[in-house]
Amino acid sequence: MLLAFALSPFLILGIGALLLMLAEAFAAPSSRNRAGDNEESARGQALGATMVFLAAGAFAAGVWLYGIDDLEGASSLAPWLMIDRFTVFFEMLLCLGGALASLLAGGYLPEHNLNRGEFYALLLFSTLGAMILAAAGDLLTVFLGLETMSIGAYAMTAFRRTSSRSAEGGLKYFLLGSFAAAVMLYGFALLYGVTAHTDLAGIGASLAAGSAKSPFAILALALVLVGLVFKVSAVPFHMWTPDAYEGAPTPATTFMAIAVKSAAFAMMLRILLTSFGTGAWISWASGWPPVLAWISVLTMTVANLIAGRQDSVKRMLAYSSIAHAGYLLLGVVACSRSPQATASILFYLLAYTASTAGAFGALILCGRRGAEAVSYEDLSGIGRRHPGAALPFALFLLSLAGIPPTAGFFGKWFIFRSVIDGGFYVLAVIALLNSVVGAYYYLRVLVFMYMREPAAGAPVATPMRSGYVAAALLISAILVIALGITPGTTLDMAQAAGLTG
Amino acid sequence: MSSIFPAEDYSPIALILLLPLLGAFVNGIWGHRLGKPAVKLMALAAVGGSFLVCVATVVQLAFTGGEHEHHRLAWTAWEWMHTTGGLQRSSVPIDMRFSVDTLSGTMMLIVTGVGFLIHVYSTAYMAHDKSFARFFCYLNLFIFAMLVLILGDNLPVLFVGWEGVGLCSYLLIGFWYEHLPNAAAGKKAFIANRIGDFGLIVAMFLLVHYTGALDWVGMQSGAHSLMDTPADAFQIHIWPPGGGTYPDIAGLPLHVLNPAKPFTITAATAVGLMLLLGCTGKSAQIPLYVWLPDAMAGPTPVSALIHAATMVTAGVYLVCRMSFVFALSPFVMACIAVIGALTALLAASIALVQNDIKKILAYSTVSQLGFMFIGVGVGAFTAGFFHVITHAFFKACLFLCAGSVIHAMHARIHDGDAAQDIRNMGGLGKYMRITRWTFLVSTLAIIGCPGLSGFFSKDEILFRAYVNHPVNPFAQRLAAFHQDVWVWPTWLGPAIYFAGLIAAAMTAFYMVRCYILTFEGEFRGWTIGRPSMFKSNPDIDPHDPDAHHEDLKEPGRPPHESPHAMTYPLIILATFAAFAGLLNPAPLTKHLPIEHWLEPVFESTKDSIITRPDADHLTWSLALGGIAAFAIGTWLAYWMYMQSQGEPARRLAASQPALHRLLLDKWRVDELYDWAVISLVDALADTFAWFDEWVVDGLLAKVTSVVVAALGNILRVFQTGVVHGYAALMVVGMACLGWFFVAPHPATSMTESNGDYTLTAGPGIGYQYRWDADGNGTFDSDKFGDQTSVKLHLDAGASKTVQLEVKNAFGLTRSTKIVVKRPEPSASAQLVEVGQN
Repeated sequence: MLLAFALSPFLILGIGALLLMLAEAFAAPSSRNRAGDNEESARGQALGATMVFLAAGAFAAGVWLYGIDDLEGASSLAPWLMIDRFTVFFEMLLCLGGALASLLAGGYLPEHNLNRGEFYALLLFSTLGAMILAAAGDLLTVFLGLETMSIGAYAMTAFRRTSSRSAEGGLKYFLLGSFAAAVMLYGFALLYGVTAHTDLAGIGASLAAGSAKSPFAILALALVLVGLVFKVSAVPFHMWTPDAYEGAPTPATTFMAIAVKSAAFAMMLRILLTSFGTGAWISWASGWPPVLAWISVLTMTVANLIAGRQDSVKRMLAYSSIAHAGYLLLGVVACSRSPQATASILFYLLAYTASTAGAFGALILCGRRGAEAVSYEDLSGIGRRHPGAALPFALFLLSLAGIPPTAGFFGKWFIFRSVIDGGFYVLAVIALLNSVVGAYYYLRVLVFMYMREPAAGAPVATPMRSGYVAAALLISAILVIALGITPGTTLDMAQAAGLTG
Repeated sequence: MSSIFPAEDYSPIALILLLPLLGAFVNGIWGHRLGKPAVKLMALAAVGGSFLVCVATVVQLAFTGGEHEHHRLAWTAWEWMHTTGGLQRSSVPIDMRFSVDTLSGTMMLIVTGVGFLIHVYSTAYMAHDKSFARFFCYLNLFIFAMLVLILGDNLPVLFVGWEGVGLCSYLLIGFWYEHLPNAAAGKKAFIANRIGDFGLIVAMFLLVHYTGALDWVGMQSGAHSLMDTPADAFQIHIWPPGGGTYPDIAGLPLHVLNPAKPFTITAATAVGLMLLLGCTGKSAQIPLYVWLPDAMAGPTPVSALIHAATMVTAGVYLVCRMSFVFALSPFVMACIAVIGALTALLAASIALVQNDIKKILAYSTVSQLGFMFIGVGVGAFTAGFFHVITHAFFKACLFLCAGSVIHAMHARIHDGDAAQDIRNMGGLGKYMRITRWTFLVSTLAIIGCPGLSGFFSKDEILFRAYVNHPVNPFAQRLAAFHQDVWVWPTWLGPAIYFAGLIAAAMTAFYMVRCYILTFEGEFRGWTIGRPSMFKSNPDIDPHDPDAHHEDLKEPGRPPHESPHAMTYPLIILATFAAFAGLLNPAPLTKHLPIEHWLEPVFESTKDSIITRPDADHLTWSLALGGIAAFAIGTWLAYWMYMQSQGEPARRLAASQPALHRLLLDKWRVDELYDWAVISLVDALADTFAWFDEWVVDGLLAKVTSVVVAALGNILRVFQTGVVHGYAALMVVGMACLGWFFVAPHPATSMTESNGDYTLTAGPGIGYQYRWDADGNGTFDSDKFGDQTSVKLHLDAGASKTVQLEVKNAFGLTRSTKIVVKRPEPSASAQLVEVGQN
């Protein structure tokens, strides 16, 4: 029974997704409209999916409060699924991300005539994959989770079938994602060959003991790293990101930006710290930290520079999410010196989840069917015309830019502090300069919203109304402000969730 | 009672604080929808309720704890933050905590009690104002902030209230902000207070650094570390700053700046001076008093509540609260007393010739605050605080009377300035009996008429100034460090006493002058101000029913007495002004309730305040001086303005035009500040503005933005949208990763101890090493091994080139040379990062 409790978030998501699919299939035909779309039941599906996410999150919180150590049998799943605080933290985080994405979908999809129920099932299954990924302690479950998550994300990206951009984005994501997955799988194969283990801890022990001398172990690390940084969309493996993010329906973009990225970081932390966390592997001269440091610097700088030159706000947010991956990678680098730095990554992910979901949500709120707010020009003067949409947008952008007293500020603060504690002063300075560049394009949105009027004759974006989106914005705003004012308790939680491997 | 509300968790404090806050909230948010009666009810209920809880609290306080014991009722709202402090760098909790002891209990009774009366008064005074709700919102918010200031159990919480009352003061001075001078007056008050706040903040830093606490109990028990720390850590070097010396730089003879003996002050003096700066700002003392007279631009009840009875006494309250720090530094005590005496004299001299009734009372307030500073400065904390109490009653009453007069005058003269000019009044006593009698009682109280409250409080201060002097309790310790110990000069006490006497005589003169010109004789305002009413003030709509256009030749209706809501508070306040002195009738009896009540608060300062041995014999002779000052001032004013109808005053002004002008222009201190401080700040601001415009905006911002934009454009080119390109770039990235991992990376770190150097090679995946440790250019062994470090010894100044070659798992090799050089005087073991070549 306790085992079922330990697994309850997984079970709830899985069963919930199946039930939602059934409900969609057997929905009363009377509610179908002429186009064959299932308006009413799909509307209910948004609520249902949100409830499933929240229930899973609530059970995850229950597991957290009950205490992992008191859960007998939880360790019997190791190494396939590691039920530790790290996992449970990510379960809650991913459920939050999923809930926010499904709330956004509940407003966005009907407005843009995309309201087909399978979106929610995809969302739930994808999140389930993400949770498996975060919990995975074995290469096989890692790959299983990765693919479960990714296939859902591919499908959601291409969800707007009639739009060529959406299809193109989905295809690019799928092609390059498969490529990266193949590379990573090759790395896994080499690892198994060198160490005769598929569980991460066993690999770590074997590599620390002496099989490290094999050149294949080094190649395996390089290949696995490629797969990992592809999933967090770091430069130079980021090229698919803007296309996929822009083409996808905005709720799917949100999901990719928050849940997929969080799970990818969970996977990265678990693999690097468990399997490659000792001795020469974390050497600053020849291990993975300098590689990640370079990638992180490249990621931040390139993403920030390009983001500043975008005309589309959605694309800017895509680049911004790449830049945030850069800051997070710095945190991973800091983890090589002190495992406590994982706490700063977890905190940052939470702050980033709330702020990004809010920003995309506010962007959704700013446009309607046929007049989606995309470019900066679309947002001109919206601060005066529609303050209800502009004000939360401004809050989330300030949080993304890292301006106190918002969650984003403390996210950056903790990351930078762990980087400095690790002794990487140059990296901290580069990250700081980058966040200044970042502030430029976030504040530019504020300038357009509050200080510009739309050009005469230009099409004016009128905001939509949706209780779902408003609810998502409210949740995000409360989180952003609460984390910005009292970061202490959450940081304590993140510290408790740190990997002790 | 004490079982329901234990002293350590006395939750009624929450009620005291939250009621006014609730009032401010309701009136602020829904005020203009509620309508005036509801706003009135809300505001009065909030302050009245708070007052009742205050009374209950003080009653309970009186019955808890033992005799002579400094006990308090405390309540912690929440834990706020932590900092580190103290010489042991321990953790210092800063909680949102409030406490009531006898000092704060008395103060909060005055604030809520007098505050309630003034609220009642305001409901009539402001009845026709269009911003009725906003006024009461601010007024309730002020009461809340003032209570936070008083009840705060530590300096940061006090500071929250301190800033809060400053904000409310600003908002209420500029209440009629449509009129530009009012807004300017509000700004001036705010800025002058900010200067003081700086002092308070610095004092907090110093206190947390030295005493390791910010709450009253902790600071009091740690206060000795301001004077009694290991070695001379308590000394703060003023010159040279921080305690260094000036070496000659590039031939400049900077060593002349080195003094023969460093100029240091003790931490206690530094804290005291900084606190004093804060107090001079809030309590309108030299040099920051200039804002208070201008603050009269606010509505008159505000002047009574904030700028006479409560907020401006916060400085005196803080000195009393921090008496344990001030008592450590007689020099600071002398500064307080001298500043008080000078302020009392200066303000009283300005008040002699002013004609605006509120200006007279404003300068009188500044002058009376000076008296309070004299009191606390000479170590007579009880006497100083007693004057706060009595002053709250009579000055609030005087201001409210002035408000009543202005209310009556304003009905006749639709011009704010003319309605406040006492030259336009006269004879009002006939028409406004209650206002006249209450004003007279309060006047007699403030000028020290024997038997009334002001007599007892002011005479006690002057008496103490003559007989008291503080001594340094740590004089011996200072002497041990060869520091000069500042000793209170014997002439200082009598000098302050006589300065106080002169100020008291001037007080009697200007207050009686004000009373006579306002209430006695014949009314001079029948036609004044009215003939030019429509011409001078085009804002008045001639069709407005409120704009009286009676025949200007006719005298019109006589001035009228104010409504009951205004007169009842006057009567209550006047009663207290008359009889509050009985709380501490110092010269008459040894049974002094206030002295006894406050004794535990000032217990710790007892040893550092010395009273002359012959003090008891001087009681009546010194009191006679006060009575004489009262008599002379009163008689002079009566003779000049009552008997001679102001003729001697006019002759005097005509014979000394320069002096009269100077007094009328308030010694031109505002102009001096304009010339000296403000123009300097302006010049600095212009320089920075130029720099900002041309260097920051022009050069830095433009260049950076062009570079960033160009780079962004270049990088954008790669984002072609072609998926093959993307895959190709991924392959390139993968190749770079592979190259990095395949190539060997030799790296070393070095530790050193007395010329013994240890070089350690950085670990690498499957690395093997060989070394050339002797520097002969060939490796020590041909084979690669697992030796990760070498040791070598170097003499001072010598250097050696060491070579390291690594071979990685792929069989690739790479070498690096390290030049090890030992500097001349070697330091102790330290980690040195070595550059590679």
